[in-house]
Amino acid sequence: MLAGNMPLFGKSQKNPVEVVKQIKEAVVALEKGDKKLEKAQEDVSKNLLVIKNLLYGTADTEPLSDIVVAQLAQEMYNNNLLLMLVQNLTKIDFEGKKDVAQVFNNVLRRQLGSRSPTVEHICAKSEILFTLIAGYEHQEIALNCGTMLRECARYEALAKIMLYSKEFFNFFRYVEVSTFDIASDAFSTFKELLTRHKPLCAEFLEINYDKVFTHYQQLLNSENYVTRRQSLKLLGELLLDRHNFTVMTRYISNPDNLKLMMNMLKEKSRNIQFEAFHVFKVFVANPNKPKPILDILLRNQDKLVEFLTRFHTERSEDEQFNDEKAYLIKQIKELKPTTSDQ
Amino acid sequence: MMEQREFDEDVMPSAIDDDDDVFKDLLNVPADWSANDCLSTGIFNSFDPNEVVYRAQKKPCKTVGKYVMGDLLGEGSYGKVKEVLDSETLVRCAAKILKKKKLKRIPNGEKNVLNEIQLLKTLRHLNVIELVDVIVNEEKEKMYILLEYCVGGLQDMLEHSPGSKFPCWQAHNYFSQLINGLEYLHSRGIIHKDIKPGNLLLTLDETLKISDFGTAEALSPFDPEGICASSQGSPAFQPPEIANGADEYSGFKIDIWSSGVTLYNLVTGEYPFEGDNVYRLFEAIGKCNIQIPGFVTEPLRSLLVGMLKKDPKKRFTLRTIQTHPWFVCRHPRTSEKVPFPPLRGDFMHNMTVLPYLFNYHSCETPSDNEEEYITEQLIKDRPNGSTSVPIDDVNDPSKQPWHKPIVCNVKKMASCRLS
Repeated sequence: MLAGNMPLFGKSQKNPVEVVKQIKEAVVALEKGDKKLEKAQEDVSKNLLVIKNLLYGTADTEPLSDIVVAQLAQEMYNNNLLLMLVQNLTKIDFEGKKDVAQVFNNVLRRQLGSRSPTVEHICAKSEILFTLIAGYEHQEIALNCGTMLRECARYEALAKIMLYSKEFFNFFRYVEVSTFDIASDAFSTFKELLTRHKPLCAEFLEINYDKVFTHYQQLLNSENYVTRRQSLKLLGELLLDRHNFTVMTRYISNPDNLKLMMNMLKEKSRNIQFEAFHVFKVFVANPNKPKPILDILLRNQDKLVEFLTRFHTERSEDEQFNDEKAYLIKQIKELKPTTSDQ
Repeated sequence: MMEQREFDEDVMPSAIDDDDDVFKDLLNVPADWSANDCLSTGIFNSFDPNEVVYRAQKKPCKTVGKYVMGDLLGEGSYGKVKEVLDSETLVRCAAKILKKKKLKRIPNGEKNVLNEIQLLKTLRHLNVIELVDVIVNEEKEKMYILLEYCVGGLQDMLEHSPGSKFPCWQAHNYFSQLINGLEYLHSRGIIHKDIKPGNLLLTLDETLKISDFGTAEALSPFDPEGICASSQGSPAFQPPEIANGADEYSGFKIDIWSSGVTLYNLVTGEYPFEGDNVYRLFEAIGKCNIQIPGFVTEPLRSLLVGMLKKDPKKRFTLRTIQTHPWFVCRHPRTSEKVPFPPLRGDFMHNMTVLPYLFNYHSCETPSDNEEEYITEQLIKDRPNGSTSVPIDDVNDPSKQPWHKPIVCNVKKMASCRLS
């Protein structure tokens, strides 16, 4: 197939077997710490650059042909190179870390007809995913791991492994860490996992309802303003997505959730009040309100009407909000105890 | 309710109504035809023909709110669509100009327009057309719906392509964007009900935008079934359950069916069902004897069959489509792309607002090099020299503030061009 001595891609072109062998040796050396750190790092980065240039091409060279890429990828799978790179990411130097992410994402996107061989490889080596998730624990690699994780999350098979793992619940911790950029990166991965493949996400949320929403409650009560605001917004999106119908019905039947939202309507931050409104409205608009929910609303009927009438009155431009607000006020005014009650 | 903005219409000095064809003004002698020009050339009674052409095709500048009007992009039963430029953000948009009188003559005309505005306001997705603004002129009984700029629809492209169809790879690109957009709409409980090539628009960078939400329906978030009871979509794209007169049907499955007919149309250039009139057509759809041309091979064949199943329960769901081999496969570009049809000879779809702006500011002259460079560029870019741009030699400092925006416009335009 590939004539090794054919000057297909310039003079310094190596064949895939060789390239992978060299980088593997360099990573092993880095892992063991035999050589001086800097020397070992240099070796790894040099080889990473070679692979990156093979995959993406450079100013002077074209990217490799499909056949050679296939060989290169196959060698990477055979040598478990992806896992090795990810496991040693903290030790690789700054540019090298970025190159790992680029090489990883490029190989991941490979397709053979309707198959994605790298996705299949990672499915079989799910340790890769868990190592990447754990990357959020290490400041120096968190963002690199984030880009790779979100690329993985685009594939349903990989998203499924992550969602159904115990490691997924670590995200509830990562999205709250004090380093803002890491917390936001973790949140976008978290959101991607919960929204990208809608039927999969809905099924996951239904099966793990109690566990997920117990954890989610902590986000909504977080000390961290950004966490509180982002998680509240995401909650609204999740509940109003038709795929999550069952989850929504269950969520809006729980009086504790209603109480939480009513408290959030009164938060200091107007942004949080506004996001809370979009969850609160679902409780009120529900035509089949369970008794505990109805009871709370009835008990607060007058106060709610008064509160909502004065709620965010400056948003006169936002017609949809005003229509919804007017609708809620009307609904609450017209609430009556159920007949069986009287 | 729709937004009722205070209408501020700024008609610039030589403006004409946007309903009148600009070219009616052909023979008007322009006001700024200064004696100086004539004197300097030394001609009084004979004109340089080029000069006449330019003067004649003057484009009077008109604004609606903060939007500067450009050329006509298209026309429908409801009114015209024109290109406009947002003078604050310098983003090109399209303005759908609706007249109350005309709307009243269309069944459900006004209702559909309000429905569309209300729905579009809540939607935000890469593959759904974005509503930018709504401006109402009560006095003129006109409404301007400002939407993001698109080059045209798939229907237009099909009509200009050999065999009225796309190569497979191109159809795949559009179809997968359609399914992405549809997934978003369905997740928000919105049934489009009128998916067809004519309602799928493209931006200059080939992003597909689902448009025309006039007949779309937002389902109640508390109704688990997604049942619809009305449909006003185009007959050829209606599913058997509607053709057979069912009272209620699953909304999601109508969009799947019409997306199936759309895909069929994009790859074969034909419709799966035909009839001389609506009754015959509905009869054919109702029977659902589907013939797929022999050149359509697996796996595309099974995707079409799955999307065009007579029984809505057996018809594919979005999820089955998204995991179907034809959908998942990457389709290498094997044949020539069907291009966007040109707009009045312009294959690049350059911004048409600029000549109006230049006309408006033509009394002033670019003094520095940058301005001159831009003007030359503009002349080169004009399609077939349909309009030439005046370069006068007057430098009016009072109009300086306008220099900057124009520079930006041109740069913007250059970057918008298809490469």
